[in-house]
Amino acid sequence: MEWKIKEKVKQVKRGDQSAFEEIVSFYQHKIFQHCYRMLGNRYEAEDIGQETFIRAYVNIHSFDDKRKFSTWLYRIATNLTIDRIRKRKPDYYLDAEIKGTDGLNMYSQMAADDRLPEEEVQGMELKDYITQEIYGLPPKYRSVIILRYLEEFSLQEISDVLDLPLGTVKTRIHRGREALRKKLRHV
Amino acid sequence: MSCSQEKIKLMHQYLDGGLEKQEEDKLRAHLEECEACQQHFHELKRTITLVQSAGQYKAPDHFTGEVMKKLPAEKKRVKYSR
Repeated sequence: MEWKIKEKVKQVKRGDQSAFEEIVSFYQHKIFQHCYRMLGNRYEAEDIGQETFIRAYVNIHSFDDKRKFSTWLYRIATNLTIDRIRKRKPDYYLDAEIKGTDGLNMYSQMAADDRLPEEEVQGMELKDYITQEIYGLPPKYRSVIILRYLEEFSLQEISDVLDLPLGTVKTRIHRGREALRKKLRHV
Repeated sequence: MSCSQEKIKLMHQYLDGGLEKQEEDKLRAHLEECEACQQHFHELKRTITLVQSAGQYKAPDHFTGEVMKKLPAEKKRVKYSR
């Protein structure tokens, strides 16, 4: 599939807008879903998902053909979702900067406080409940967990998508897994 | 509670596929004799399975159409510049 996408990208670069439609059509669900998991809201996911493709189109000439197109696209999407989260009112999100290892205790504690009332959980499908718990992670852990386990990127690819050193990616996955373990052990 | 941060770190390295055979054997031997770590490891693996079973979400039907409508107009001159 990647070669076919590369072909389409070349056509777009030559000015063929209709070739871009096939790219959007191919990646729309993946990108929408990624935005949804990052933002926890369908309306915003649609907005940011569309913005991702518009940015990709406008900046298509800066895409290096030797690289993987999907990595580039996820990079745009992830950056846009993080920007959107930052622009929300401070009380809207949980990512009060957590420094060092103390952070783990802090957000795992938050996770316990954030837990939904029992009756609500019972009515919710398990998979949606899990989506909710992933969304409850601070964005920097949320993004790596989503990319690793739901989009199935390799550690190196995640490092490319997020433009972070491999070691940082590993640390974030490690902490994200621990935080989720605490949230999901009672499931 | 689990043993030490060091053992937990090994578990995460294992889950990322970055453990040398020797360290893996060490971890396995420890898990066999330490119930708390075994539990911790089991919870981590189960967490991954649970995360992988999270809901799938599809873009709305009009998604691609909306994107195409919002794109800046095609630069006509590109066609002739070739």
